[in-house]
Amino acid sequence: MLQNYLKIALRNLWRNKAFSAINILGLAIGMATCLMIMLFVQNELSYDRYNEKADHIVRVVFRGSIQGQKIKEANVMPPVAQTLQTEYPEVQAATRIQESGTPRISYGDKSFKEGKVAMVDSNFFQVFTIPLLQGDPKTALVQPYTVVLSKAMAQKYFGAANPVGKVLTFKEWNHSCKVTGVFDKVPANSHFHFDVFASLSSMPDAKSSSWMTSNYFTYLVLPAGYDYKVLEAKLPQVVEKYLGPQLHQALGMSFTQFRQKGNDLGLYLQPLTDIHLRSDFTGNLEAGGDVRYVYILGSIAVFMLLIACINFMNLSTAGASKRAREVGVRKVLGSLQGQLVGQFLLESILLTLVALLLAVVLVTMALPVFNDLAQKQLTFDLLATWWLLPSLALFGVLVGLLAGSYPAFFLSSFQPVAVLKGKFTSGKGSLGLRSGLVVFQFCISIILMVCTLVVYQQLEYIQNKKLGYDKDHVLVLPEAWLLGKHAETFRQQLLQDPRVVSVSTSGYLPAGPSYSNNFLLSTDDNPTQLLKVLRYEVDPQYIPTLGIQVAVGRNFSRRYSTDSTAVILNETAAKTFGWNKNDLGHTLSSSDNQGRKVTYHVIGVVKDFHFKSLHEPISPLIMTLSTTAGAVIVKAKGADLANLVTSLKEQWNKFSAEDSFSYSFLDERFMQTYEAERRLGRILYLFAGLTVLVACLGLFGLATFTAEQRTKEIGIRKVLGASIPNIVSLLSKDFLKLVIIANVVAWPLAWWAMHRWLQDFAYRVSLSWWVFALVGVVAVLIALITVSAQAVRAAASNPIKNLRVN
Amino acid sequence: MIKIENLEKVYRTEEVETKALNKVSLTVNEGEFVAIMGPSGCGKSTLLNIIGLLDEPDGGSLKFAGTEIAHYTERKRADLRKRNLGFVFQSFNLIDELTVVENVELPLIYLGVSAAERKEKVDKVLEKMQIMHRRNHFPQQLSGGQQQRVAVARAVINSPRLILADEPTGNLDSSNGNEVMELLTELNEAGTTIIMVTHSEHDARYAHRVIRLLDGEVVMENVHKQFTA
Ligand SMILES: Nc1ncnc2c1ncn2[C@@H]1O[C@H](COP(=O)(O)OP(=O)(O)O)[C@@H](O)[C@H]1O
Ligand SMILES: [Mg+2]
Repeated sequence: MLQNYLKIALRNLWRNKAFSAINILGLAIGMATCLMIMLFVQNELSYDRYNEKADHIVRVVFRGSIQGQKIKEANVMPPVAQTLQTEYPEVQAATRIQESGTPRISYGDKSFKEGKVAMVDSNFFQVFTIPLLQGDPKTALVQPYTVVLSKAMAQKYFGAANPVGKVLTFKEWNHSCKVTGVFDKVPANSHFHFDVFASLSSMPDAKSSSWMTSNYFTYLVLPAGYDYKVLEAKLPQVVEKYLGPQLHQALGMSFTQFRQKGNDLGLYLQPLTDIHLRSDFTGNLEAGGDVRYVYILGSIAVFMLLIACINFMNLSTAGASKRAREVGVRKVLGSLQGQLVGQFLLESILLTLVALLLAVVLVTMALPVFNDLAQKQLTFDLLATWWLLPSLALFGVLVGLLAGSYPAFFLSSFQPVAVLKGKFTSGKGSLGLRSGLVVFQFCISIILMVCTLVVYQQLEYIQNKKLGYDKDHVLVLPEAWLLGKHAETFRQQLLQDPRVVSVSTSGYLPAGPSYSNNFLLSTDDNPTQLLKVLRYEVDPQYIPTLGIQVAVGRNFSRRYSTDSTAVILNETAAKTFGWNKNDLGHTLSSSDNQGRKVTYHVIGVVKDFHFKSLHEPISPLIMTLSTTAGAVIVKAKGADLANLVTSLKEQWNKFSAEDSFSYSFLDERFMQTYEAERRLGRILYLFAGLTVLVACLGLFGLATFTAEQRTKEIGIRKVLGASIPNIVSLLSKDFLKLVIIANVVAWPLAWWAMHRWLQDFAYRVSLSWWVFALVGVVAVLIALITVSAQAVRAAASNPIKNLRVN
Repeated sequence: MIKIENLEKVYRTEEVETKALNKVSLTVNEGEFVAIMGPSGCGKSTLLNIIGLLDEPDGGSLKFAGTEIAHYTERKRADLRKRNLGFVFQSFNLIDELTVVENVELPLIYLGVSAAERKEKVDKVLEKMQIMHRRNHFPQQLSGGQQQRVAVARAVINSPRLILADEPTGNLDSSNGNEVMELLTELNEAGTTIIMVTHSEHDARYAHRVIRLLDGEVVMENVHKQFTA
């Protein structure tokens, strides 16, 4: 029986080559897309799960608001780990990570600047499952000035020699560290990727009892099965007990008073497995994923698969007349409907498995491209993961059942009497459903096209938005602090270069990684009201170098000694303080590091510029004069920056060690801020294209069938004098109607989706009607071209031949 | 073998109501060869389809070998069809995707006959139908007469007690038609009951008895040959 079914199935596939090809190709593209997205989603969801204790590790985070300014920090105060461990027995272990910037590490004549260095508490390797190849995870980092290296790092410095016991020099720390262990590498799906873990006990700051700074990523191990919310509910007491007094001392008000003014600060817990996808904190260890994009891509995968399955259903039911006689004969010969359902399901599973093979090939070929788009290193190795093959087979069978069930029931329900009489009119009954399915397919395609276009518009908008500063032809050398006291000399040297317009030495950058300094102050109008603003410490060249416009007053100048306590506001700050921006002469007060009161006088107001990403509205900003260099910002004249970079490097090397030169372009840093959106954009372009392609494949197949079924009608119409355009419009009309309905359904959905997406941007394009109209027209055109190709062929054929056949 | 009493069949489409069979009663004895004749649309095929359990009557009784089968369940109908009935159609109704052998063995597959036994039976019947040399051809590669011989082979492969033929020669020229009629006669002589719908007086002469239908009613019965059970 099975053999008989398989024979029929294969012969049918072979006989209807064009439809089989459309079916298989559509299904294969659908499944390949789905598989790729599943790999992506699986990878996103697997983050940090490699830890044995993944389910009961939490990260302590810091949230609150001061004067309406939201604070969301992923790192907390130095004593939090120790305090929570002593206060609460349910905290089984607490460990901390502190990033170490980019220290220069040397061994013998080898010396490199390393970007992935962290300092961690000695119990780090007992909390996180990063097995040591060498060394004892319990004791490796107990002693100060010990480090554990990744295998690659050990090889880089020591080659084949045994790294354990060797001593590395850390230039910035002015200290040597002994290697006490080696680990393979941090798994790719981790929310941090360090190559060097140094003992935190080396740092005096690690023992700090200050609750006024926050720079430690702090993780707690809780008992398995323990609800972290229970512990979280107790944390306000800790904050009040420890932060309270220190806040009181600093601000002169009790924590209760602080709260009464509408402020709040609190510690919260975040499950380890939420870190990658659900972190909206400032200062994460690495840019994470976004759970919304997981949902978006997940739905694209589902829809893509549905569209491919719909193609299958449409083509199978449209082609029903071809199988009707077989069904009739089999029933006459004693077959039950159930057996026929089985037969057709078997056929669709067979076809799906063929498509799956093709999909596997497609995934293998397309994965590098997708990895590039999604910035991932996904792998698809059928043999490497034991469960991949069986689950793939299961996937194929499930898709086969999904795609084949409706056609199977439809086909097997034919009554033999009707069929064998030859009175069978093919699949009229399923016409309504087929139309519905086509509408659905085009609906999805249209939504994706609209989304793609809006994302593109928004990205363009970001790129071309007047930012209030000039990001073009600006070079940033982020590590000017390496130059130390030579920074000014270096700056003067650069100014000699005719290609250089101006140079500033500030670490506060409006795009990309930047220094950041939250500043608590009060205004002369209202001395008891504490305000939190962002403070930029800049030099007098900063404003002209970045092309920021001074609206009122003047820029800083070294000529006025009083400018050391001068302050320049942005317009938003002036507004927030309740000042008329033309009304200079106000003062602001704050306290310095030693707690002494400092009064700043306002000398100018600059026009608002976007120093944060366009996701956020412009907030109050004050600028004060700095004495130290952060980064070097170079405004160049022309666009030929490559040559300039070379000579900058030469200059740099005169002042700083070999190999320490690094640079970036301000406009590139700016674009990197929107990497997540750009990635989404690129992925959307791809999938929108694929969805449209698969939907068109289906439409093409359907149009072919319709044309085939109506050959007799076309023949008669032509004999009676219908022209080719008459016939083409006759055949295309029905499909166009469907595409237009699809538009009507899709528009509100697309509008809603994009409206929500755009909410994430404080500065955004407005959704314009023409985007929808354009997509509508494009969809209609695509459908028209697809359908009319078949219609023209049918219309142009010889009517007599068609009539004779029938 | 078949006993029909007051059989009724009404087709209802939106507004029109067609009485395809109006109180038809007839009996067909075991081993008999009966021809049904009548103008187009008089209900011949309807009657045959009801006897063949492909269609359900709206009234009356239909007995097969003494058992009332008019309202059998689908499963019982399918079972009775595959064990006791053979069908031959005007348009052959072979499955295009299957070869001659595969078409002929299909009923045996549904009966769960083993492959070896199937081969033996199929070879025997193809031999008898003189179509052995075309055993691996597809239906479209055969002439009409050959196709109908394959269809007859398929109808008899399960050794049915009753063969129902709806205008078996309708699509054939006279020499091919005669060949098929000879085959049916042989089968009948070997003991198989046959009910055949035909338009041709010539073909009807092969039968023992002719039943004439007009507008869904039996109007006349002619006996050609004496049938003795
Ligand atoms: N499925 C059907 N629906 C409606 N009317 C039908 C159907 N099948 C047959 N008829 C009608 O029933 C009558 C008998 O048809 P049929 O048995 O096919 O006639 P015959 O085989 O004698 O030419 C005809 O009038 C025909 O139009
Ligand atoms: Mg008829």
